[in-house]
Amino acid sequence: MDYILMLLPSMLKGLSVTLKLFFLTLMVALPVGILMGMARISKFKPLKWFMEFYVWLFRGTPLLLQLLFMYFGLMTIGIRLEREIAAYLAFVLNYSAYLAEIFRAGIQSIDRGQYEAADVLGLNRFQTMKNIVLPQVFKLVLPPMGNEVINLVKDTALIYVLAISELSRVARTHVMRDDTFVPFIIAAIFYLFMTGTVQQFFKWLESRFDYYR
Amino acid sequence: MYILQARDIHKKFDSLKVLKGVSLQVEKGEVIAIIGPSGSGKSTFLRCLNHLETIDRGEIKIEGEFMVRNSPDGYALYSTDKEIDQIRHKMGMVFQNFNLFPHKSVLKNLTMAPILVKQADKVEAENKAWQLLEKVGLSDKANNYPFELSGGQQQRVAIARALSMEPDIMCFDEPTSALDPELTGEVLQVMKDLALEHMTMIVVTHEIGFAREVANRVIFMDEGLIVEEGTAEQVIVNPHHERTRAFLSKVLMAR
Repeated sequence: MDYILMLLPSMLKGLSVTLKLFFLTLMVALPVGILMGMARISKFKPLKWFMEFYVWLFRGTPLLLQLLFMYFGLMTIGIRLEREIAAYLAFVLNYSAYLAEIFRAGIQSIDRGQYEAADVLGLNRFQTMKNIVLPQVFKLVLPPMGNEVINLVKDTALIYVLAISELSRVARTHVMRDDTFVPFIIAAIFYLFMTGTVQQFFKWLESRFDYYR
Repeated sequence: MYILQARDIHKKFDSLKVLKGVSLQVEKGEVIAIIGPSGSGKSTFLRCLNHLETIDRGEIKIEGEFMVRNSPDGYALYSTDKEIDQIRHKMGMVFQNFNLFPHKSVLKNLTMAPILVKQADKVEAENKAWQLLEKVGLSDKANNYPFELSGGQQQRVAIARALSMEPDIMCFDEPTSALDPELTGEVLQVMKDLALEHMTMIVVTHEIGFAREVANRVIFMDEGLIVEEGTAEQVIVNPHHERTRAFLSKVLMAR
């Protein structure tokens, strides 16, 4: 018990690093993902093609590799980013690509009739997106989004490769130093608590959107 | 003066010619029923009139203003988007599949467009919406969501929603085709009431009975052309063309 209490300060510090990456990624990647999702089906072909390429690139390579690239890769061509900045950048770029795909699918699954009804009532394209399409898309994308956000919680552990002391790296340091498995168990509990919270939050969101079919 | 003039409308999807020169002139207060077999181009024609589809050649003029006309080399030349929006505000549209906004209450379905497009005051828009719901007999459903209503009720809401923008012309694209037979009556009744108020109506329909009873003019289309037009008496009771007769006998036999 004393050992656990002794561990806690550094573990909590690691947790705060993890949480910061989690929230920052979500806050930026969510709006960016929506915009990219719309761009992905844009009538302006070059934009559409660029987005297709972008999604292919960032979904098609390991996030781990992207992290290494943002830090060490850029360094070799003379761009030296802070390790944290490199991590945020890789995460935002990667998660935007995934969220863009989710939103693209959501937008495309809205019935054409909804656009036509809005059109004949005189709503412009922006009003149609904002008032008719996106509110319905949010309901549709909640389940796949929940998956993605839970993945994000766990993916944060990858930034250990940039020697950033997030939760799992702190745990591993203790495991190796103190020759005990306990820090890993504590880390696992922290992760389960975080993913559990995400899961409950999405359950609540889904019930909030349950008022219509 | 005609409230709507369409002249020599041509339209093709890829290489398939759907409209091969359709003309229609509508006077204020007229109720026009367009009948014909599926694939005859009747729905496409209606959708061209309110710019859900674009035409390749021809002219459409609504309340004296061109939405589209022919360029000197014979291709459809549309007015600016702004002008088209102005013109389209005069037309209401009712779809086969209702296309209500499922995430909005019935009342909000009716107030959304007036508030967003006409910058109507919220209270005013709601008062108007209540009146319209009264008119279609659904004021008790104002706070329900579309999925809670029957198909007939949904279509009546859709009619009220189109009326909320105070159109001069109402277009109906097979408004009862998606309904169970026992629910068509309530929708047709609302449309009859509108006709009695001298609303100008263009109705694409399979309801021969409705066409016969309510329409001032019946148009029979087949293969992208108007084959026959006249009063219900002329077209439905005493059709001249073989194709009209063949169609009517098929439709009437099915009942």
